Amino acid sequence: MVLPILEFFKRILSDFDTAHRESAAALTGVEVKELENIFALLLLGSFIGLPAPPSFLAVELLPFMERELKVLNSRARDAGDMLAEMVGTIGIG
Amino acid sequence: MKILFFTGKGGVGKSTMAAASAWQLSQKSRVLIISLDPAHNLGDIFGTVIKHGKTKFTNTLYLNEVNLQELSREYLQKEISVLSSTYRYLQVLNLDNYFSILKYSPGIEEYALLTSIEKTIRDETDFDYIIFDTPPTGLTLRFLALPKVTITWIDRLIGIRRQILEKRYTIHRIRGTLSSEETVLDYKEEDDDILKRLWELNDNYQALDRTLCGSDCNVVLVFNPDILSLRESQRLIEGLDDLCLPLRLLVDNKVTEENEEMVTYVEKQMKGMAQDVPLERIQLAKTLLDGRKSALYDIRESIIPDSW
Repeated sequence: MVLPILEFFKRILSDFDTAHRESAAALTGVEVKELENIFALLLLGSFIGLPAPPSFLAVELLPFMERELKVLNSRARDAGDMLAEMVGTIGIG
Repeated sequence: MKILFFTGKGGVGKSTMAAASAWQLSQKSRVLIISLDPAHNLGDIFGTVIKHGKTKFTNTLYLNEVNLQELSREYLQKEISVLSSTYRYLQVLNLDNYFSILKYSPGIEEYALLTSIEKTIRDETDFDYIIFDTPPTGLTLRFLALPKVTITWIDRLIGIRRQILEKRYTIHRIRGTLSSEETVLDYKEEDDDILKRLWELNDNYQALDRTLCGSDCNVVLVFNPDILSLRESQRLIEGLDDLCLPLRLLVDNKVTEENEEMVTYVEKQMKGMAQDVPLERIQLAKTLLDGRKSALYDIRESIIPDSW
């Protein structure tokens, strides 16, 4: 009888730990996504008229850019609803 | 090994001067002359056909004409094959052909040109002199500026990339051993493919920049005694100065007795802009004035100073 209760409390503590760790990492996670977005934008900015590096640099790095392109794409998709995005980031509601 | 770039306005006689210098230097040393101008006439000047790659003219003189279009194609083909192998799954849907559109990327020509210069300097170490006959001013300045521009960009990109990896590491530390999507991402600098490639590119360009601005690199500026040529040469001197490229010799080509006044004026102006640079005067061949044939060996003056 004692063991399951102990397990139960252990579980609560560990979930508590996870939740706190997750919320601490979440904001940094958003920051990383933004940086990856900027990285991809800097390299491939010529598509939307930003000053771009020599185009061969983009060609040179393109083979390794799958994740950055996905992030760029998702940021572009969510850009229509910036308010919801911010509310989500700050954690309201 | 010394590297010589012959620059100047179109039609002033860059190729002829480069060829004559190559011929004169080859009497004592091993020389490789490379034409980077898309409108090649090196073969015509030496009266021979330059095939794909290096062609032997004498035991000490080798000629080469760089085919810009072919170079661009080769470079892009290499990149496309890397892309196609990374995104292999697209082959199932037959979508990989869309990468071939990269063939039409602008700005690739300058890069191909620079790559060919870099490769030549790195590989052809058994020559005493490598002479580059460059395309007209605009393109030349653009590709010579490329290492510096690229290094600036690479620096910025490396900075951002490092920040990304640092933040990924922070997340990894906070989350601990928890399994999640983010922890799978690389956070070590030596594991990140993009950073590795950026470092590699940075090393290449730093080395090239050091070579181009170093003491073994010499830029020779060819001009004619006329105002148009003077103005463009002045702009070129300013451009070279901005890029810290070492201008080491001025060559006043097509000088005749009749245009003495203009010769003095143009030379004075040029010397005003580049004080310490020696100036060499090359007479227009009498045979050319008469409309007769002229040979490269008619240029008796030694163009390159003996001290080089």
